[in-house]
Amino acid sequence: MSRAREEAGDSQLVSGREPPSRIIRVSVKTPQDSQEFMLAENSSIHHFKKQISKRFHCDTDRLVLIFTGKILRDQDILSQRGVLDGTTVHLVVRSRGKGILPSPSTLPSPAGHCTHRPDPSTSESARMLGRLGQLARTSPELADFFGQLAQLLMVVPEPTGPSLEDPVVQGLASEKPANASYVPESSRPVPKPEPALKALENLQNPARQQELLQVDKRGLEALKAVPGGDNAMRPVFSDIQHLMLSTLAPLVASKGHNPDSEPCRRGINPHSCTNITTTAPTVSTPARPLAQEVSAGVAAQARDVNSNQASAVCRTGLSDLGQNLPSQESQQPIGKATPASQLRPSPSVLRRALHVLQQNPALLHQLATGSPLRHHMPLLPILTNPRALQALIQIEKGLQILSREVPGLEPCLWCPVRPHGARGVSETRGRGQGHRADAVQPTLAVLQLLHALASACPQSTQSSSSSCPLAEDRCQQELEHLKAMGFANRDANLQALMATGGDIHAAIERLLGIPEA
Amino acid sequence: MEPPNLYPVKLYVYDLSKGLARRLSPIMLGKQLEGIWHTSIVVHKDEFFFGSGGISSCPPGRTLLGPPDSVVDVGSTEVTEEIFLEYLSSLGESLFRSEAYNIFENNCNTFSNEVAQFLTGRKIPSYITDLPSEILSTPFGQALRPFLDSIAIQPPGGSPVGRPNGQS
Repeated sequence: MSRAREEAGDSQLVSGREPPSRIIRVSVKTPQDSQEFMLAENSSIHHFKKQISKRFHCDTDRLVLIFTGKILRDQDILSQRGVLDGTTVHLVVRSRGKGILPSPSTLPSPAGHCTHRPDPSTSESARMLGRLGQLARTSPELADFFGQLAQLLMVVPEPTGPSLEDPVVQGLASEKPANASYVPESSRPVPKPEPALKALENLQNPARQQELLQVDKRGLEALKAVPGGDNAMRPVFSDIQHLMLSTLAPLVASKGHNPDSEPCRRGINPHSCTNITTTAPTVSTPARPLAQEVSAGVAAQARDVNSNQASAVCRTGLSDLGQNLPSQESQQPIGKATPASQLRPSPSVLRRALHVLQQNPALLHQLATGSPLRHHMPLLPILTNPRALQALIQIEKGLQILSREVPGLEPCLWCPVRPHGARGVSETRGRGQGHRADAVQPTLAVLQLLHALASACPQSTQSSSSSCPLAEDRCQQELEHLKAMGFANRDANLQALMATGGDIHAAIERLLGIPEA
Repeated sequence: MEPPNLYPVKLYVYDLSKGLARRLSPIMLGKQLEGIWHTSIVVHKDEFFFGSGGISSCPPGRTLLGPPDSVVDVGSTEVTEEIFLEYLSSLGESLFRSEAYNIFENNCNTFSNEVAQFLTGRKIPSYITDLPSEILSTPFGQALRPFLDSIAIQPPGGSPVGRPNGQS
């Protein structure tokens, strides 16, 4: 009451007309909340706003008071505007955010921020996001990244809305209006190679990255603390990851094959660190080589991956992953797979796929440069099925021998990137099958050849089978087996058997299209 | 100081039963209902309404319901479009999230009422806001309540408002 008297005394100085001004009770209603204020009926709106800003913990600049459809100006007097005892004034707290970031956005984040101050999770995340904003301010490239991140995060549905609708995030988003082209419904991620490149190159400071990682992790942990947030975040993060990697992959591919691009690798970190936090809620990976986290990010695609598995993926030393192309690559088939079934691919499969791709930078490069082959060939089964890979190696070797014996064939068989294949990186090392260390690796050429064979087969089964009668004889028994099992398509059976070198089990897998873990 | 702009605020009222309620309500409910009302607020040349999908907006009269059955003039407001959209976003996170939709307690008319009061200080006509209690006070309404509770009305034709990627 003393406060009200003080207010009354204050307003007396202002109006000076009627000595006793009644204290009235006015309700202030926000979309979230409704609070009552006691003040003199002759108070100015400015005074009223000061009271409100104290209670709601916001700047008076951001308060908009509305009564009977009229916006109350600072110099008005309450009673003049008809604000009487027991009336309700509406309040909108704008997200002008002068103090942090410019924000032309129309979302009233401070309303949630101010009125939910007691709520620890939102204030915590708001603080973390505030730090993100500070970081963004210090570097325009970071702002780019965060802008993109924010844009993508903002597709999160309501449960996590409040924590994201912080002025910082909004400001970040608005800073990059050009990036507001990620529309989930239309699935049209617009690559921004230049800013991404700058972000990559500038994020070389390990301290900065660590900090980023920490901030990101904590911010996202806070976000996940919101009920329902975790589940809501996963599809978001997979989308984010997809967008970022698809943005970066053509960029990196165009930069050329550079396995030692340190900045590139480190640059992957902030993009993928978000993935880390979703898959490893315990967040035990700050010290790991940053590029490993790309693989964890890929593992995030398999949504049934728990944190242990994710950390395991992190730990499998994919340390010299010079590009994020492998993630993008294995992600493309994965991305197609996951909508269909959330059970595959399993993390170990992904791990192997990544390992293969890592060992074959040439393969990555070719695959990433948008080979149309990708759409036709089931690459994931090839890469992850050890026997398929083995078969591919055998084919590769055979082709090598062939090219040596018949030089005239070479131009037909090899694509220009062939020289990469001689780089001598064994790709089955990670298979656990202890295969030879020969310098053979399946390149795109082989796959193209297979594809050509495969497409040629249905039309000319007779010719293919006649061209290799021995093979067919050998396979006769296997063919009979397959037929007995129910694989009625003899041609497909034959193809599969030939592709797997007569291994009936592998052939069955191939026919079923199962990527065996 | 220049005079602030005044924007007209209208209430579009639709009868979801398209006249059936008027004819059948005496038989089914035992009392006369003129219609099953769905309302939306039209301001700043946009129609805003609340459904099971949250707050949506569309050009006036452009939902699948077609043109409104009646238009009520609510008044005028000084609230600018910018402030209004901020307000809607805030509502969309608190009281009018899509999950919060309840056909009796928190429906399109609740929303229209709320917004009308914000914009002009006036409420919408009581025959609209009294509808749930009218229905629930009949044996028919009580009996069907569990079923009716699960009904969620969302007139197609609008786009979400107040989501981060939403637009006016």
